[in-house]
Amino acid sequence: MKQRSWSDVVLSVWGVLVFVFLFAPILVIIVSSFNVGRLLVSWQSFGFDSFLALFEKPAIRDAVWISVQTGFIAAIVATLLGTLAGIAMARHPGKWVWWFLGLLLLVSVTPEIVDAVALLPWMVFLGQDLGIGLFNDGIIRLVIGHSLFSVAVVSYLVRARLVGQEGQLEEASADLYAKPPATFRRVTLPLAMPAVLAGFLLSFTLSLDNTVIAAFVQVSGTTPWPVYVLSALRSGLRPEIAAVSTIMLVLTLLALGLVAYVLRRAGDSAADIARTMGGG
Amino acid sequence: MTESTPTVRILASTDAAKVIRRELSRRGFLSAAVAAGATGVLAACSPGGGAQNAPVATGGPLESKLSIYTWGDYDAPDVLEAFTKELGPKITLSSFNSNEELISKLVAAKGTSGFDIVVPTGTFIPQMIENGLLQKFNMELIPNIEHMDPAFLGRAWDPDNEYSICKAWGTTGFVYDKNIITRELKDWNDFIDAAQNEASGKTSVLDDPAELTGIYFWANGIDWTTTDPAELDAAEDFLVNTLAPHVAAFDSYPGGSAIPQGTQVLMQSWNGDARLGILESPDPSRWQWVLGSPATELWMDNWAIPAGAPNPEAAHAFINYVLTPENSLAELDYIGYHTGATGIEQAAADAELPMLDLVFFTPEQVETMHEGEVNEAQERIVEIWNTMKAAAGA
Amino acid sequence: MRKSAGVALAFPAWVWLLVFFVAPVGMVIWFSFGYKPGIFGTHANDVLSFDRYAEAMSPTFFATFQNTLWVGIAGTVICLLVGLPVAYWMAVKAPPSRRGLLVALVMVPFWTNFLVRTIGWQVILAPEGWLSGALQAVGLIDGPLELLYTRGAVLLGVVYNYLPLMILPLFVAFDRVSGPLREASKDLGAGRWTTFFRVTLPLARPGVVAGVLLVFIPLMGDYITATVLGGAKGNMVGQLVASQFQTAQNWALGSAMAVLLIIVIMATVAVGAGLVWLVTLPFRSRNRLVLGEPEPSAASKPVEEVAA
Repeated sequence: MKQRSWSDVVLSVWGVLVFVFLFAPILVIIVSSFNVGRLLVSWQSFGFDSFLALFEKPAIRDAVWISVQTGFIAAIVATLLGTLAGIAMARHPGKWVWWFLGLLLLVSVTPEIVDAVALLPWMVFLGQDLGIGLFNDGIIRLVIGHSLFSVAVVSYLVRARLVGQEGQLEEASADLYAKPPATFRRVTLPLAMPAVLAGFLLSFTLSLDNTVIAAFVQVSGTTPWPVYVLSALRSGLRPEIAAVSTIMLVLTLLALGLVAYVLRRAGDSAADIARTMGGG
Repeated sequence: MTESTPTVRILASTDAAKVIRRELSRRGFLSAAVAAGATGVLAACSPGGGAQNAPVATGGPLESKLSIYTWGDYDAPDVLEAFTKELGPKITLSSFNSNEELISKLVAAKGTSGFDIVVPTGTFIPQMIENGLLQKFNMELIPNIEHMDPAFLGRAWDPDNEYSICKAWGTTGFVYDKNIITRELKDWNDFIDAAQNEASGKTSVLDDPAELTGIYFWANGIDWTTTDPAELDAAEDFLVNTLAPHVAAFDSYPGGSAIPQGTQVLMQSWNGDARLGILESPDPSRWQWVLGSPATELWMDNWAIPAGAPNPEAAHAFINYVLTPENSLAELDYIGYHTGATGIEQAAADAELPMLDLVFFTPEQVETMHEGEVNEAQERIVEIWNTMKAAAGA
Repeated sequence: MRKSAGVALAFPAWVWLLVFFVAPVGMVIWFSFGYKPGIFGTHANDVLSFDRYAEAMSPTFFATFQNTLWVGIAGTVICLLVGLPVAYWMAVKAPPSRRGLLVALVMVPFWTNFLVRTIGWQVILAPEGWLSGALQAVGLIDGPLELLYTRGAVLLGVVYNYLPLMILPLFVAFDRVSGPLREASKDLGAGRWTTFFRVTLPLARPGVVAGVLLVFIPLMGDYITATVLGGAKGNMVGQLVASQFQTAQNWALGSAMAVLLIIVIMATVAVGAGLVWLVTLPFRSRNRLVLGEPEPSAASKPVEEVAA
């Protein structure tokens, strides 16, 4: 490695600053979760009382759990559909791609409130009038609602990653008599992988925060976390909401650490770990 | 009541049915009105929409479950827990953010929403009754209504409390920072004046069209449920051209952050929210609450049972349970709003709850509070609200 | 044969979006030709007309849209300016072993609820908060920090909440510009800046486009993010649509406004794309000219080859 130039130093400093920016409000929330008082924003004294809410209020625990489940399933669905569509768009261009891109654009510009008021009667129609019991399930309704925008996001990302890049590799693979599924699995998918993982992360994140659609399509007992938080404004947010956020954050970081550890133990090099987790 | 059942079934179904629907729902409303005038004989047999076979509460054994759809964090956890411990039904809580969400949900589900108790705001109850979304109480199962103060029963939206009983009620006023506004503010006219002077650019108003136009109507002695186009035009002119340039935020819950953090100088707010904010402020003496006058609003969230509720026995038992004086006090302590029970003021004072002057009001003050109404002017006031926001954002 | 099998990969997404987006949303769009039948009705379609569109095109709509467009464009540009160096640093300069961790860390703050993290910002920015106190102590400002409920706060809220949507696609794009290509550029005598602007950035263009669209489009329809920190200054046109569906319960007018909003956003994207195309035209033709020149051409040559 050459010695670091001033531009590299500036870049690193900028990168670190942006991460500080991203985490600044989160740190405030972590501190607030040790607040013993009535309001989240107003510090009274230090204590662990707010963490007890997780045991005392099943509604909070349920809401978080519903959100996590929904986030995972919605991200998997969106990633699956979006990856396939993105690959198809990048590798099999044609007039249909414009139609499909048009549809994706339409999905992403439609205000959420429109999706929300449209989906609610539609789910009821599918679930009760047509008797497809699947659509009466709260988690399934939430997953469908949350997946719409995410499908568009993953498709864009995967297409952007593959377009104009090394289509020759697939041709070479075909020339070498690899069957299309093998080419897909061995060549196309690994090429698209960073975009797929980025898309998964984004879908999960978007789903965790979805409030408008979620509020409309939820059924009895499946109130997701953001809907709970927003509706709790009416009586003033308590520190326990910060406590739950802190616990979620700690669990998230633990899970990330665990994944990294397992991959390392499995014998992958550090670079491979990075690749698996969303690097290149 | 039976003719009204098909009315509800058609609601929000195919487009072809829209015309028929309007006709029928008008008739449905008439028959509901007739039934409302009749005795409570039919009380338990309410329109159930697609759920004609929904169970009816007759005082039989309680079901094992109870699903409540309400505002988030709106009930004392101890009360919920004690109910399950004493009487059995396991409670599932779900949350909504607005009455419109609640109504959309119940309309679309046509009686199969699965909720046993909902908590709509009073002004929306006529709409819910007309659309057959609520079922009548079986009053025999709610004897504890005797603990309620008659002043908070029989409000305009449900004069005989056949469908709804007060859960919590509140009113609107404002809070100002005495360090900045050194004179005494007393009524809505002072609010308007201060907003244009000391508090210009540091004023927040409620993010709700009725309370916004209310500022003008209350200050000028006009009924805030007016549908007179000239009065609405005058309100728009005032709000958009005079008040909007001074407004920094449309914030429905300043008590949750703006008051304790000292972000604004003058804030229109609901009493319970203001109380919370002042209590939690590092310097409570700095803030002054003023009840809106000469007139202001009275809003009320109500216990109600949706049509088609799967566990009506448990729903009645729960409503009856929360109306007992001890539970009523626990609820008041938890959310900071008056529950409408008789003698609760004394009980709260005995329990040494702080700042009760923001929870309880004298009968004379209650006289000046008027309930809102969803009427023909609704679209117009939403338009005024949007125009004012555009003007304030420019 | 192989071609049709490839196109079929998009089939599940087609079906999913047709069933869960086109069908239900189409129904709502259909309402925009109807009307609101009474106080308690939300929509009726027995009389069809374009009247709701005429109603929707009010001065309020356009005044609000102006503000929305300002927030949308300024927010997207700042996201790009902030996100681009970070994504580049993450994909190129940061140690490869840390890259996965960095990508995950960009997302982690956003697994805390939107409202909760915004409240975190409110605590930081409050006039009597610790940042205000610290800045006053250092002497950077005289009075309390007056950032909340200003245009600056609108942008802060928007940039904070949309930044990951910009960073992730950019990271993916920079990541795909393989190291050897940049090495080649440097070996051929191009400096690091030339390499960045002539090789790396053009190759990352699909990522830039994806990032800009992913931030700009949802931002234009959003109406909560801008208001929580920005107050009245964060008034957005999405609010008009939501207020019709919710508070006014006029689904007919709400649908018409939504359609109008969709059309205007798409038109804005089209105009923006056209402008970018026009502005970059000289650069692109210069690159083409440069090919013939003897000395600095080396740097731009790979651009042409790969981008072609």
